[in-house]
Amino acid sequence: MPKSLSGTKPPRRPRARAGASSKRPPTTQKPGAPLEVGGDPTASGNFPAPQPAVAETATTEMLIELPARPGKAVRVRKYKPPAAPRFRIFIVDSGWNSVARRVLRHNFALIRRLHKEDLLYLLSRKKSLEFIRRHRSLIGRDPIIAVHDLEAMRGHGTTGFHGFHLHLGIMRTPRQALIARQDFVQFVATHRRSENLEAEIRTQLRREGIVGAVEILLHKAPRALGG
Amino acid sequence: MLDRFGEAISVVLGALALAYLAYEIDRRKRKLRDLFHVLDGGEADISADLLNMVESGELQPYFREIRA
Repeated sequence: MPKSLSGTKPPRRPRARAGASSKRPPTTQKPGAPLEVGGDPTASGNFPAPQPAVAETATTEMLIELPARPGKAVRVRKYKPPAAPRFRIFIVDSGWNSVARRVLRHNFALIRRLHKEDLLYLLSRKKSLEFIRRHRSLIGRDPIIAVHDLEAMRGHGTTGFHGFHLHLGIMRTPRQALIARQDFVQFVATHRRSENLEAEIRTQLRREGIVGAVEILLHKAPRALGG
Repeated sequence: MLDRFGEAISVVLGALALAYLAYEIDRRKRKLRDLFHVLDGGEADISADLLNMVESGELQPYFREIRA
């Protein structure tokens, strides 16, 4: 197949639409006739008559300049702070290259959507580092997800029970980190209206007591342990 | 004589099994306690620090406009 001459054809040709033939002779297009192919859908529908000079040089096809494809209208939802949040969630991550960090980053969008009813605070790397330097017992445990129970804090501040930490940094495999994260999200979502959150954390997440020991024995608990 | 020896072995093995079970339960519980760490008066300074960062305006609630 011979190459087309560079002067006779335009360098790029818009893709023909359904029902349009690429071998249509130019003579069939009457000047001033309604547009059959291409064209601006927002325009009036009348295509300007091709000029004679163009018709002479482009003997085989007529170039139809398509407008830029109108993009889909992007609806942007405005941020509305939750009306009555039960929890305040902080994510502290100083940037250890750990599996837990990767799991957290990969699932962050989903986490954010699942915690829409809570206030979410994301500490920058610098702030996380400063924070962990002030509280050295947390070194090596981050990424940390700190959950403050606002209801408990309204009662007695930070002196008694007021929330819990998820120390994702102690997880060694991606599966462990992901499962711990999923357990955490499920717990927060299902215990939003709990009246005794501390007791439920102790029994359901930490498997304390005789029942917890039995559950560990029966391998009901090792989900969070990755066992 | 053999009966007594056999009994002694059984008792020792049983005790070892129980000890291992107790150790394993304790190990897993410790790991769960460490993973899901409950905040109380001992961690008041950590929580107060975060609280101060919020109240001083250093930390703002995270949000990004979501495309519908």
